[in-house]
Amino acid sequence: MRKVSLFIPCFVDQLTPEVGLDTARVLRRIGCEIDFPEAQTCCGQPAFNTGYWDDARPIAARFLRVFHAADAIVCPSGSCTTMARNFYPELLAGTALAEEARSVGQRVFEFSEFMVKIAGVSDVGAQFPHRVAFHDACHSLRELHLKNEPRELLRKVAGLELVEMPRSEECCGFGGTFSTKFGTISAAMGETKAGNAEISGAEYLVSTDPSCLLHIDGVLRRRNSRVRTIHLAGILARTPAGAESPRTFSQARSAK
Amino acid sequence: MESGENPGRERVLGRIRSALKAPAAHHDSVAGDRPIFRVVTDPLERFQSECANNATECILVADADSAREALRSVLASVPSGEVYVEDASLPHRLLKELDGGHSVRWSSEGPPSESSQATVTTAECLVASHGSVLMTSSNGGRGASVVAPVHIVVATEAQLAPDLSAALARVKQSGVAERNSSLFLITGSSRTADIEKILVLGAHGPRRLVVILIRNPK
Amino acid sequence: MTTAAREFLRSATRETANLPARRAIRHAVDQYDAALERGRTQFLDWEAARQKCYEIKWEALNHLDRYLLEFEERVKARGGQVFWAETAEEARGYVAEVASRCGVRTVVKSKSMVTEEIHLTPALEKLGIRVFETDLGEFIMQLRNEPPFHIVTPAMHLTRSDIAKLFHEKLADAMTSGAAGDDPPELVAAARRALRQAFFSAEMGITGANFLVADAGMIAITTNEGNDRLGTALPRIHVAIAGIEKVIPRMGDLATLWPVLATAGTGQTITCYNTLIGGPRAPGEIDGPEEFHVVLLDNGRTDLLADAEQREVLHCVRCGSCLNACPVFRTVGGHAYHTTYSGPIGSVLTPHLRGLNEFQHLSYASSLCGACSSVCPVKIDLHHHLLHNRRNAVHEGDRPWQERIGFRMWRWAMSGSRRFAVMGWLGRSASRILQWLKLGGTRLDPLRPWTKYRAAPVIPRKSFRAMWRESGER
Repeated sequence: MRKVSLFIPCFVDQLTPEVGLDTARVLRRIGCEIDFPEAQTCCGQPAFNTGYWDDARPIAARFLRVFHAADAIVCPSGSCTTMARNFYPELLAGTALAEEARSVGQRVFEFSEFMVKIAGVSDVGAQFPHRVAFHDACHSLRELHLKNEPRELLRKVAGLELVEMPRSEECCGFGGTFSTKFGTISAAMGETKAGNAEISGAEYLVSTDPSCLLHIDGVLRRRNSRVRTIHLAGILARTPAGAESPRTFSQARSAK
Repeated sequence: MESGENPGRERVLGRIRSALKAPAAHHDSVAGDRPIFRVVTDPLERFQSECANNATECILVADADSAREALRSVLASVPSGEVYVEDASLPHRLLKELDGGHSVRWSSEGPPSESSQATVTTAECLVASHGSVLMTSSNGGRGASVVAPVHIVVATEAQLAPDLSAALARVKQSGVAERNSSLFLITGSSRTADIEKILVLGAHGPRRLVVILIRNPK
Repeated sequence: MTTAAREFLRSATRETANLPARRAIRHAVDQYDAALERGRTQFLDWEAARQKCYEIKWEALNHLDRYLLEFEERVKARGGQVFWAETAEEARGYVAEVASRCGVRTVVKSKSMVTEEIHLTPALEKLGIRVFETDLGEFIMQLRNEPPFHIVTPAMHLTRSDIAKLFHEKLADAMTSGAAGDDPPELVAAARRALRQAFFSAEMGITGANFLVADAGMIAITTNEGNDRLGTALPRIHVAIAGIEKVIPRMGDLATLWPVLATAGTGQTITCYNTLIGGPRAPGEIDGPEEFHVVLLDNGRTDLLADAEQREVLHCVRCGSCLNACPVFRTVGGHAYHTTYSGPIGSVLTPHLRGLNEFQHLSYASSLCGACSSVCPVKIDLHHHLLHNRRNAVHEGDRPWQERIGFRMWRWAMSGSRRFAVMGWLGRSASRILQWLKLGGTRLDPLRPWTKYRAAPVIPRKSFRAMWRESGER
């Protein structure tokens, strides 16, 4: 039985908890033994990305302590996984934690990456009879080099019709603090993404990154679009046995 | 400034040397010495297909006689006026007489006139991989390949180099690059896509580039 | 916020709403993307080509003094003159002095971003010299009295009817049809007619240089139009200005650099005219300038050279592909940056050339998507250098105090799981109260930076960790 430690991004914990729950559901279904180290808080990316490396460093150090003994660390977010794997070595270069950063980094996986490349599973017995378009989140695509893995998982979902949207690889415009510092540009990029999702004819826009989805969802609902957003784990968690109606980001949290 | 007054020189060099004291990371090649370009197996065939792609009119002829005929035919399509010709042996051989309406100005008489209708030059070599013509300032001068609306190159199959590496090595090692003030790699006719990314031929240089390629010039 | 930052925000906001310009940019980028795919097929291995170009540039920049000295020696041996300009002022002064000495009244100029950088044209015009941009895109922008919009395609934001209107107004003599034609071949022919006289009467031709070839002592210039060819064949004086970082070790390096530059720049397999010039007219040559000057420009490049972490930014070959790939550039366009170099390369480079304090905002005006780095033909890690600029800005103490305090509070909150959970609960509760009071989206809403443009997220009652604990998991 594979032992997996859940790395739940800070904003998933607080704003989109269903993503974490769905991730755990799917991992359990494929036979993983899951634990959630409660001591975790954040990977440090907001400070790191804004240039506050001195503030990010102790938070990164904390992360390394919390996950020190983990076998495999799975995270339903490409950007947070990127932080822990690609950027911790640079952030902690020259400190006593440099080696630990490298070691832990090798054990952190984005959710779809873990499923397909580590667990070797692409069919999780999910059912989601809808037309779905996939948004290639930037960190997942360009930092973790994931392109086929999420699509492999989606193709095995019963009843799911996967369509490609125009310019699926173009940034949605979230970019962390960029979304508020340069709101007009961020919104325009989000509108472009939303428009492309609509052109694809998809009912749902899915991604590996909940941060992208928060932003795109906000744009879609502001323009009263019929396209809804959902995280990859949200789709994979739906089984015929479950018979629940699909819960989008917004619906999941407004329900009890 | 001719007196050599350039205090900035020592300052800039000094700044460069001091800057380079800090070594920069070198990201190692992931792939080693992988080949970058497709190998050119048939230079003649490749040159012709590349010319078709870049709008160079490549006329392949068997010998000097057919080259003469091809040149006459191309010039017949050029409006009457001055034809500027490189004063070299191949053009002399191919231009026995000109039809009425065209007057020849040889490069030994000076640069081409502003109103030249066409120029005829030789080349240093041809580059098969890209359908390019490599010329020097000895091939009729700098202006000969750009001033007129039509530029005709007369070349032989023996001048075909397979690719850019070979062509550049040739001009470097033979001393051609040393002896000439300038070298020109020309691929197709003058063009621009500055308006709505729509390709338009004939910007400031020639609208037509013609290569008369002679298999056996003897 | 600095003046430059404010100016950028204003322009970016305005240009984001400029839908016709955004459509034109989108069209140009779509054309470029299609051409790029075709152009790349000439390479067996595009990644190997990028790596080779990176290696060439790395060698050149990390032995810069050696290669510049070799270049200078060989140019001088051919009768050319080399002037090292530490500042933009020195560069302008040198060109102006040559122009005055030679009685220059008219200059024909090829496209050169470096001449934009040093503001050369106004300096020459002040001497009563007429300067003609000869690259079509630059010529159009000169007629409009605007700087170029893009490194490679200066007028990419204009439609053919914009250009036709401009030509009918400013180039009436050169336009043949009386009708308001906007046919691109006609417009190009008009520009050719208008500029031909300038080429044949100019005393001086000014160009940039795409590369400075050390082992040949020659500059390399790349154009499609042939304007550089006429400008270096006809006038008596040729002045070439180039950044010191343009040097490459060997002529043979061009066998890779020329095709890569063409593909990345326009999607062509190779650009129409690739020219190598080593000196003035050599003895026995039919034509060509009597004088050949090369101005080597520093203007802050040695500062960047000294930054070992970002030295590779000097590898840039000014192909423009990072601009085309950048979703921010595609949205706001080149003019909004208000800098000579726009797009990702401009955002990374400008703080080094003109000051981090004043231009750090460009490094923040990015979602760090990484598209730029993935397309750069010389493998500059552009988006990571934006991050480095941000880090440097923080270290210099140049950030707003609210932000510094904010992150100190963030750090405190993230340093313990219980306080994180408590702060999270407080934040969510406050948001829910605000939403209940219908203050969401109003001026009083602290979430307004978000809600101004997007619907607020639905705030969950319970956090993941709370639900996890309740479900009895460990």
